[in-house]
Amino acid sequence: MALSKDELKAAILEKAEKSPKPQLYIKDFYACDPETKPRDIKNVANDLVKEGKMMFWSSGSTTMYALKHRIKNEEGSEGI
Amino acid sequence: MAKHETPLLDQLESGPWPSFVTDLKRQAETKPECWDILGQLELSYEERITHWKHGGIVGVFGYGGGIVGRYSDLPKRFPGVEHFHTIRVAQPASKYYSTKNLRQLMDLWEKYGSGMTNFHGSTGDIILLGTRTENLEPFFWDLTHDMGQDLGGSGSNLRTPANCIGQSRCEWACYDTEAVCHAMTLKYQDEIHRPAFPYKFKFKFSGCPNDCVAAIARSDIAVIGTWKDQIRIDQAAVKEYIAGNYPSNGGAHSGRDWGKFDIEKEVVALCPTQCMWMEGGELKIDDTECTRCMHCINVMPRALRPGADTGATICVGAKAPILDGAQFATLIIPFMKMSADNEFEELVEFIEKIWDWWMEIGKNRERVGETMQRLGLPAFLKVMEVEPIPQHVKEPRSNPYVFWSDEEVPGGFERDVVEFRARHAA
Amino acid sequence: MGYNPDKPMDGRISDLGPPHYEQFFPAVIKENKGKWLWHEILQPGVLMHKSETGAEVYTVRVGGARLVSVEFIREVCDIADKHCDGFLRFTTRNNIEFMVDSKAKVQPLLDELASRGNKFPVGGTGAGVTNIVHTQGWVHCHTPATDASGVVKAVMDELFDYFTSMTLPAQCRIALACCLNMCGAVHASDIAILGVHRKPPMIDHLRITGVCELPLAIASCPLGAVKPAKAVVDGKEIKSVQVNVERCMFCGNCYTMCPAMPLADPEGDGIAILVGGKVSNRISMPKFSKLVIPFLPNTTPRWPETVAAVKKIVEAYSKDAHKYERVGEWAERIGWEKFFEKCDIPFTMKSIDDYRLAYDTWRTSTQFKYTSHIK
Repeated sequence: MALSKDELKAAILEKAEKSPKPQLYIKDFYACDPETKPRDIKNVANDLVKEGKMMFWSSGSTTMYALKHRIKNEEGSEGI
Repeated sequence: MAKHETPLLDQLESGPWPSFVTDLKRQAETKPECWDILGQLELSYEERITHWKHGGIVGVFGYGGGIVGRYSDLPKRFPGVEHFHTIRVAQPASKYYSTKNLRQLMDLWEKYGSGMTNFHGSTGDIILLGTRTENLEPFFWDLTHDMGQDLGGSGSNLRTPANCIGQSRCEWACYDTEAVCHAMTLKYQDEIHRPAFPYKFKFKFSGCPNDCVAAIARSDIAVIGTWKDQIRIDQAAVKEYIAGNYPSNGGAHSGRDWGKFDIEKEVVALCPTQCMWMEGGELKIDDTECTRCMHCINVMPRALRPGADTGATICVGAKAPILDGAQFATLIIPFMKMSADNEFEELVEFIEKIWDWWMEIGKNRERVGETMQRLGLPAFLKVMEVEPIPQHVKEPRSNPYVFWSDEEVPGGFERDVVEFRARHAA
Repeated sequence: MGYNPDKPMDGRISDLGPPHYEQFFPAVIKENKGKWLWHEILQPGVLMHKSETGAEVYTVRVGGARLVSVEFIREVCDIADKHCDGFLRFTTRNNIEFMVDSKAKVQPLLDELASRGNKFPVGGTGAGVTNIVHTQGWVHCHTPATDASGVVKAVMDELFDYFTSMTLPAQCRIALACCLNMCGAVHASDIAILGVHRKPPMIDHLRITGVCELPLAIASCPLGAVKPAKAVVDGKEIKSVQVNVERCMFCGNCYTMCPAMPLADPEGDGIAILVGGKVSNRISMPKFSKLVIPFLPNTTPRWPETVAAVKKIVEAYSKDAHKYERVGEWAERIGWEKFFEKCDIPFTMKSIDDYRLAYDTWRTSTQFKYTSHIK
């Protein structure tokens, strides 16, 4: 059975926290619940951004997700 | 007073073409940071290398697209461009503007930015070039509240869709490119502003096969106008062209003496399918052989028009060369009606079917055209539930390596080697 | 009222999209949308569209830099206010179009444009060279191998007469991209000016741990030239990468993924010229541009080698092609060996494809022409 929205949010945050790299692609979160459609996982990840729990990180051509405390400075020099 | 000497850039102020250097210098009188743009650029001209760093975390809250971060690698020397972020503002369909609207946007940009812009970026957005991180939120507030306007796309998002001028000022547009482009842009605001995809995704809408927005070369979904019925002919106007009373190609060749217009040589003989001929002073077309290349219509716009049963051809998967080489979009749907009455339902269904598949299967930083290449056109057609037709290929395959599956071969793939050996000694 | 940093979410508006296009239509456009019958280019840069209602719209097309200031846009607005009831539009190729609803209003508009120095060149229609679409270059980009605005200015100064006239066999579309990422659609242009790198990336071992995701940097290389490696920083061994330079094709994709792998270089970087692409389906199918000059140096500020190469191609094409023939159609008709000869471009080992699917471009026929290449 697919995870509830709250369970999915928790799984995404856990993944973002425990991942060795600070920034994650949206695809990295698909594994949080293989039974939820990618577009629904994207929507939940974006809800977490709206709630201020995650942030977007962009190189200009690629956009990724990150937890704020794992990104050290604005230029992302601790990230990619 | 010039803040930096720019002897190299100064050499780009002469000549008949408008000079961006002259323009930058004029703007520097009221926006001194433009001196640092000039100064850093002059240094790049001296050293023949860029002085901009990679992107970073910039954006307005809740958006993952619309702003591209940029920082100078010499911030002490050029403090005016220490932060030099780009804001992409979504352009209206066909890029018509009122001066009231443009002036208001320019006032905003004078207040919050460097004073420099691009009209427009390659994808189609208005590009506001160069601002500091702390200006982003106030700018966005004023843009949305005072102007009712919004940012475009960047990153792994749906990029701001773009369209040709369409029916607003072109007689050849086979559907209302403005209406579709605007409707799709509004429908997919979430996909434009928040990352949704393995990589960028573009829609472009051209009204006819002349393809003035280059949809087939650079969009993941290219919607290109076409028709099903006959080219509409005005035989009286054909005679005017033959008589030399109307200029060929709408006057596009009037700068040189190409001799008297010769319909046999310039229209009939150049038709790629040889589907036209002259008979009793009239131009005849076998429309069943026509591939709608537009040549005859382009040459004689007053005599020929596209048919009246119009729609669009949908091609998928164009991209620039990075990494495996450039791709044009591949024809998938030969003809689709484009009707605002059902909110372009058929197109929407097509788009979302691609997304559902690509979001799951596409690798990071892989355009949909590359995913199609990796998995093959047959696999893509199956996903799209499209029956294969000869129109999907330029020519049949020349290799015999057909991937048959277990179910397709009588008896299946499971066989008994012991039983085989009983009849065939090793 | 305005943005309050203490309460960023209060009253926030998002996802409005672009304004509706119709409010920006000049009256004659609004009234005649979908009713246009035919058009004619009256003189270079001036178009007339005729509606079935009998209405006419006259469009004056003006070229210029894509990089423009707030002051410049205000000047454009002044002109549109005075002559065009406060409306205007931009084309896909960065031209500005001023529209008026009667022939009598055209000349005063042209006079106004001409009175403002060289800021508003009228042209870019029909069988000529229209505005060059281009990318950012050294003005804003972090990965360029050349500038964009300066090269375009230098080339357009030289091709100016082709912008203001209609003397070519067909339209000639020129585009510039300042690196292989090709933010513009230069891969399907009659003439493409493309920034290229020629030196493999350097590895900044000091920074790589902080700024790069090593597996992503390794995976970014289309030829597998980036490999994991150990490096020593401050006496400590760290995980880093190395580049097999013999495999590097200088695409810069690794630098896009990993800022600790810069490859730009004053001597290494420059321009390649590609020709014969097109987007339109007219007569022949859309075509990719083909690389004919592998490298020209970044000679600032006016890129004389690039300007001369582009001009030579345009002039050879102008002299030799048939009416309606695009550059690529011309080259295919006369044969690429003739193209190299007529344009006086040296054919070298670099002109032969050795990337993937290269075989598709090798000649597998006895049909060829005897040119100066055959000694």
